[in-house]
Amino acid sequence: MAHSFSFERLSVLLTGVFLSSMLSAQSVRDDAVFFDKPDGNPVSVKVKAGTAVKVIKRQGFWVEVEVAGKAGWLKVSQLNFSGVTGGPTAIDTGRLGKGNIVATSAARGLSAKDLLSGQPNFSEVIKLEAQNVTQQAVQAFMVAGGLSQTTEKIQLSIPRSAASTPPVSSGAPSNTGTPSTKKKDDDDW
Amino acid sequence: MIGKSTSRLFCCILLVFCCSATAQTDEEKVGKAAVAQILGSASLLTANSAQQYVNLMGQALAKSSGANYKWRFGVIQSDSVNAFAMPGGYVLVSTGLLKSLETEDELAFVIAHEVAHVARRHHYQVVQRQRLAEQASKGLQALSQDSDTAKLAQASGQIYARGLDKGAEFEADRLGVEYMTKVGYDPAAALSVLEKLQRMKGNDPRAELLFSTHPSPAERLDMLLMSGVDQLPRPRAVSTSARNSRFQKFLQSF
Repeated sequence: MAHSFSFERLSVLLTGVFLSSMLSAQSVRDDAVFFDKPDGNPVSVKVKAGTAVKVIKRQGFWVEVEVAGKAGWLKVSQLNFSGVTGGPTAIDTGRLGKGNIVATSAARGLSAKDLLSGQPNFSEVIKLEAQNVTQQAVQAFMVAGGLSQTTEKIQLSIPRSAASTPPVSSGAPSNTGTPSTKKKDDDDW
Repeated sequence: MIGKSTSRLFCCILLVFCCSATAQTDEEKVGKAAVAQILGSASLLTANSAQQYVNLMGQALAKSSGANYKWRFGVIQSDSVNAFAMPGGYVLVSTGLLKSLETEDELAFVIAHEVAHVARRHHYQVVQRQRLAEQASKGLQALSQDSDTAKLAQASGQIYARGLDKGAEFEADRLGVEYMTKVGYDPAAALSVLEKLQRMKGNDPRAELLFSTHPSPAERLDMLLMSGVDQLPRPRAVSTSARNSRFQKFLQSF
């Protein structure tokens, strides 16, 4: 009985450790094919959706990953970093006050005690408000830093739901004789 | 007769002006009280060149947001990994956070994220909701807004200890990346910042509260990726060298 109980507890523990490691791993969102380098060519290594990968490094919007001893490059958007799946979130609207509550960003780094018991310092506010820069100075700062307002339309989409990532698997990559060719409607493939 | 009409018209215009000015003033007043409360715990960095640098960056990013505030940006002396957004256009960044960054483009994401909080009135809406709740519980005589700034500052501590929806943080990330990209910064720097935070998670007490009060950096990364951040244009590498060199000089100034 005691042995049975211990075995059960050990099983639960191992399952917990296993699930925990799965949740903390990066995984591939959809079936993918490795590239030889960022913006390079596809190679004959295919990984299935949900496969856990080890990220070696990131370069811009590309990541070098390793699966079962095989390394290659994927687009960063092909990975799931949080390992969580979920349904619709408040990100749909960015609205406030319903569900998914976290403490406000304004409180970050200072303890709640500091915020609640601290005394306001209005003389420091006066110093802050005394900071003044002209538009000409801002423009000069941008030019010196190689910055300029882009004329392109810059707009990100609002995700309708968290990743619908399949469960993480430990599947090794498969070698395919026919590397995936360009996907329809995706210029990077 | 004409005099009376003109006088009435003038009074109407003045009333409208005062009403609109009051609305703006209230948001600024709330922000000023909140920033005073934070500056009560961490003073501004005395290095004027550092304040100037952050202000120049902040103004460029704020303009990109299109939000019309009298923006003020400041660096506070604190080892904590912190950034703060207050209603009315106040943004503070801690020296602890600055020292954990490597490039100006990374700092651009941090500031742009805070600018987005202000532009979308994330915190001010929390204040407004709290006021409404108080009015509901106290009755109509409580409709007047709190005129005691010191009291408002202390109340802001409580307000900031309450919560924002995760969606507000994700939205600030998304809009922040848009603002920085419009100015010409590299949107991939946003990923670098979140990766750095992820590495601090669980082993850096300077950022302890940040992690207890925010969505995980990994989750924020995923949300940005699902927004299509990797489809945004990146600047040419040659254009980043000048600002990276001035960023290093900036770090050495404190």
